[in-house]
Amino acid sequence: MKKQPLLEVRDLKTRFSTETGLVTAVDGVCFQIYSGETVGLVGESGCGKSVTSLSILRLFGKHSGTRLEGKILFEERDLLTVPLDEIQTIRGNKISMIFQDPMTSLNPVYTVGDQIAESIVLHQKLDRKQALAKAVTMLELVGIPSPESRIHDYPHQLSGGMRQRVMIAMGLACQPKLLIADEPTTALDVTIQAQILELMQKLQCELNMGIILITHDLGVVAEVCDRVLVMYLGQIVEECPVEVLFDNPLHPYTCGLIRSIPSMATNRREELHVIAGMVPSLYHVPAGCHFAPRCPYADAQCGNPPELVTIDAEHKVRCWHPGARASGERRLA
Amino acid sequence: MATQAAPLVEVEQLVKYFPVSKNYFDLRVVKAVNRISLSIREGETYGLVGESGCGKSTTGRLILRLIEPTAGEVRFQGKNVLKLANEELRKVRQDMQIVFQDPFSALNPRIRVGSAIKETMDIFEIGPPNDRKARTYDILDKVGLQKDHYDRYPHEFSGGQRQRVVLARALAVGPKFVVCDEPVSALDVSTQSQIINLLEKLQRDLKLTYLFIAHNLSVVRHISDRIGVMYLGHLMEEAATDNLFARPLHPYTQALLSAIPHPNPRHKRKRVVLSGDVPSPLNPPTGCVFHTRCPIAVGACRDTVPVLHQVAPGHNVACHKVHEWNI
Repeated sequence: MKKQPLLEVRDLKTRFSTETGLVTAVDGVCFQIYSGETVGLVGESGCGKSVTSLSILRLFGKHSGTRLEGKILFEERDLLTVPLDEIQTIRGNKISMIFQDPMTSLNPVYTVGDQIAESIVLHQKLDRKQALAKAVTMLELVGIPSPESRIHDYPHQLSGGMRQRVMIAMGLACQPKLLIADEPTTALDVTIQAQILELMQKLQCELNMGIILITHDLGVVAEVCDRVLVMYLGQIVEECPVEVLFDNPLHPYTCGLIRSIPSMATNRREELHVIAGMVPSLYHVPAGCHFAPRCPYADAQCGNPPELVTIDAEHKVRCWHPGARASGERRLA
Repeated sequence: MATQAAPLVEVEQLVKYFPVSKNYFDLRVVKAVNRISLSIREGETYGLVGESGCGKSTTGRLILRLIEPTAGEVRFQGKNVLKLANEELRKVRQDMQIVFQDPFSALNPRIRVGSAIKETMDIFEIGPPNDRKARTYDILDKVGLQKDHYDRYPHEFSGGQRQRVVLARALAVGPKFVVCDEPVSALDVSTQSQIINLLEKLQRDLKLTYLFIAHNLSVVRHISDRIGVMYLGHLMEEAATDNLFARPLHPYTQALLSAIPHPNPRHKRKRVVLSGDVPSPLNPPTGCVFHTRCPIAVGACRDTVPVLHQVAPGHNVACHKVHEWNI
């Protein structure tokens, strides 16, 4: 994969100033996304997955006291330095976003047709009639039956799965180059989730989009992602192709996550693996390796912050003892 | 586990219709639970799965009589719970408790968790009043919390810890039967595994019987001995966990199981993707409620409701086509 990345994030730092002081939610994140690939961003709540994605489009209020550092390169421009009104021409147009909760992300007082047409009118300079016609084709594309009448429906008239489809139709209306999907199926039932994932993969093939898929469901990751970034407390702790993640995870946090999910393959009634302790608060980030206090292999060396090192071509890990489990040295904390 | 034990809870032809009338002449009802029969044996975990709105939570609440059923019978240790008068019902409730999905709204933010747990013992007058605080410490310890958590407020706890508090409160009165209504859905993966392990440990130690309601099939498979699959208020299939996963017979169960994402990128499966959405329970399809989305539906499915019948020992299915289709 020696081609030009679609999006390149370099050393991104997102800080929020709060009453109790400055909080670093994203701490030096670097990654690239290429056209046509799906990259999974995984981790527990509060690890900075969503903030990373919001930072890419600078979706923070003007007065929120958010400080962004680093570089986000998209089409040879740094999204962190372009003026806000220019960002507006990229948002929803070249990079668009699907949010987790379709119940709160759609405006209840506009019809879904109007909401899809809005971005089409804005970015493609079509009049309202043409835009609505386009909205109908979009709804058809995402598999909503009788779209001509559905565009006049309000969000409350649709089921959860249909609303999520409307969100996807909105996200794809301008045929973006990059789609950021923040937990697009978490609020849905498994059968509907299967439909939505299938749909996203189909559309990706047709439009050659890059997709950033934010999720905490490793099953979904295994199913649709090509590469995976594992985050913990604002940092990327492991980056690798999806097969490698499940075959040969090197970071103890990744290993713990994978082993703690009950899966169809594990023995029933066997006790599930548990990662000791809890995710620390961002106000008290441990010095050195952030994961050390919960890590069964931590030693004196882990008091120093580890770098994200390249193990082989596509596998990077931030750990002093990568693959500690493989070498069998198990010291329980 | 306890396959031959006597049934602790028996449910027969349970029905619940919720009226949605906007005026006097509007007689529409939501058919939330439709003629459900099941029995839960002592010491086992019965898993109830299905998509949102299929009536699994309503069933759990009907069994505890937290809502009044429209028709049917619920027997707990042979007693018909639905016929009990107030005082008797209160006594039975001591043996039947519930753990709710959302540990954030299940606890009163103004009551210290210790008092919340002790309150249940005060209500049921368990042991001498002076001992109750010590008992609360005991229970806190059992669910993996510390003594000094007694005086804290719910907001001081994380989601997983709150779920432990909710569990402690349910167990304080020494129940035999606990309805777990999506107890881990609101939690992160790593916390989820802690709570599942805890539920299993408590079951062993206190000889509990669980009705485990969830939509996450991997979790249900892990914890349940037997599983019932619900769709639109009907029980579609019921079998021992291993049988159900090895040989699902109802086309809905097959679709449901095939939709579970496997945490293994090399596992390329053939997915049965169902078309369309779950129909509205306000106006459910005639005949078999699944026929509108069923890949193998025939004419008979539109007209007659299939009855749940045994097709193999312990394996019950409600489908007209099951004999020609899969055996």
